[in-house]
Amino acid sequence: MNVTEREATTSREREVQLIGRAREGDRIALRELVDLHKDRLFAFIWRMVRDHHEAEDICQDAFLKAFASLDTFSCEYRFSTWLFTIGYRVCLNRLRRKRPFSGDLDFSAMASEGGASPSATLESEEAGRVRASIWSAVDRLSPPQRATILLFYRNDFGCQEIARVLQLPLATVKSHLHRARARLRELLEALPDQDWSDFRNLSERAG
Amino acid sequence: MRCDEARQLFDSYLDGELSPSLATELGVHRVRCAECRRSFALLEVSGHILTSDRDPVTVPADFSERLLACVELGEHSWPARVRRSLYFVGPLAAAAVIAMAFLGFFDRGRESRVAGVKVEPTHAETGALRPNAPSAIDREAAERAIDQWIGQMQNTRAARVQADESTPKAPDLTILQILEMLKDANEGAPELRHFPGADLHEPFGPPDEHPVDDEDVEDL
Repeated sequence: MNVTEREATTSREREVQLIGRAREGDRIALRELVDLHKDRLFAFIWRMVRDHHEAEDICQDAFLKAFASLDTFSCEYRFSTWLFTIGYRVCLNRLRRKRPFSGDLDFSAMASEGGASPSATLESEEAGRVRASIWSAVDRLSPPQRATILLFYRNDFGCQEIARVLQLPLATVKSHLHRARARLRELLEALPDQDWSDFRNLSERAG
Repeated sequence: MRCDEARQLFDSYLDGELSPSLATELGVHRVRCAECRRSFALLEVSGHILTSDRDPVTVPADFSERLLACVELGEHSWPARVRRSLYFVGPLAAAAVIAMAFLGFFDRGRESRVAGVKVEPTHAETGALRPNAPSAIDREAAERAIDQWIGQMQNTRAARVQADESTPKAPDLTILQILEMLKDANEGAPELRHFPGADLHEPFGPPDEHPVDDEDVEDL
């Protein structure tokens, strides 16, 4: 067992302990579960609905529903998988009630909101355009495709786990991932080569 | 390997599901084909951005506290937006009530302490049934009118009683006496044969016009 696997096992055991205590109404355990998952769940939901208050409502509902039915949770799965499943279902219900998302967002304003890139080489105006195009393309995907892409890239979920969260067959999840990538590629191929210069350097360095 | 074949393998390669032999073949094709190299680079870069870009929003700092407060209060059935607004509306409403009490808003009997403005009593305080009901002065006039009307009615009744006492009362007559008198009055008129009760010897009751025979019952 390597270091990563050992860490995963420890974290898994810790999660099972927390859930056991939370079932008994331990406030500290509940608090710890919320703190462990709130950021990732909120970010996922916000990317799905693109509304801060709506995302907060859904996030809160997801946690409350999860805690209300904590007795039915099977420790065979990760708590995050279960929580994201609930969050995704609440998201879908809200999205069905709302009008379809147009995808027309002011990404320039969003970037200045604090979306600093981890890499200094990706700070140029061209890089900003590429980044905006990618997120715009993600926003234009269907909810299941968007959820698949977000869970895969941002939450590091495997296809099997995504299938569990979205309650879809594994083949459908793979198809969503394939189509979403194809759509992204189509959109990005339309961008001028100049915009790609920073990323090409990065890609070459990585290669 | 052709370009269309190579592109079909991109996803599997990115997901780490490609066999080593196919991965090598794809690598060779990428070296030779500039178009496929570009397409693959686009996918890799978009994956990199999707993975590493920071989210421009963060969960509110007091999210955990509010969530746990909801868990303790069992407010699950309320929409989160309503729950959130209660945190602000509740204290604001309490502050408003205290401020109103302090400013004498509820003390209608005296002048308001705000700029010495005279506060009119509310319709509830005047006893009116609705906001547009007559004012206190009109009400007094209406009460006087009602008293006057009641007095008139009492006088009228007393006068009628007096008149009744002065009028001779009709003698108490039995039904037979009344019938005798009617008989005398109708002397010479045709006899009321079919009038039930005209003959006191006939049994009084509703006429039996359609007696039901046993045969009719059998027909039914």
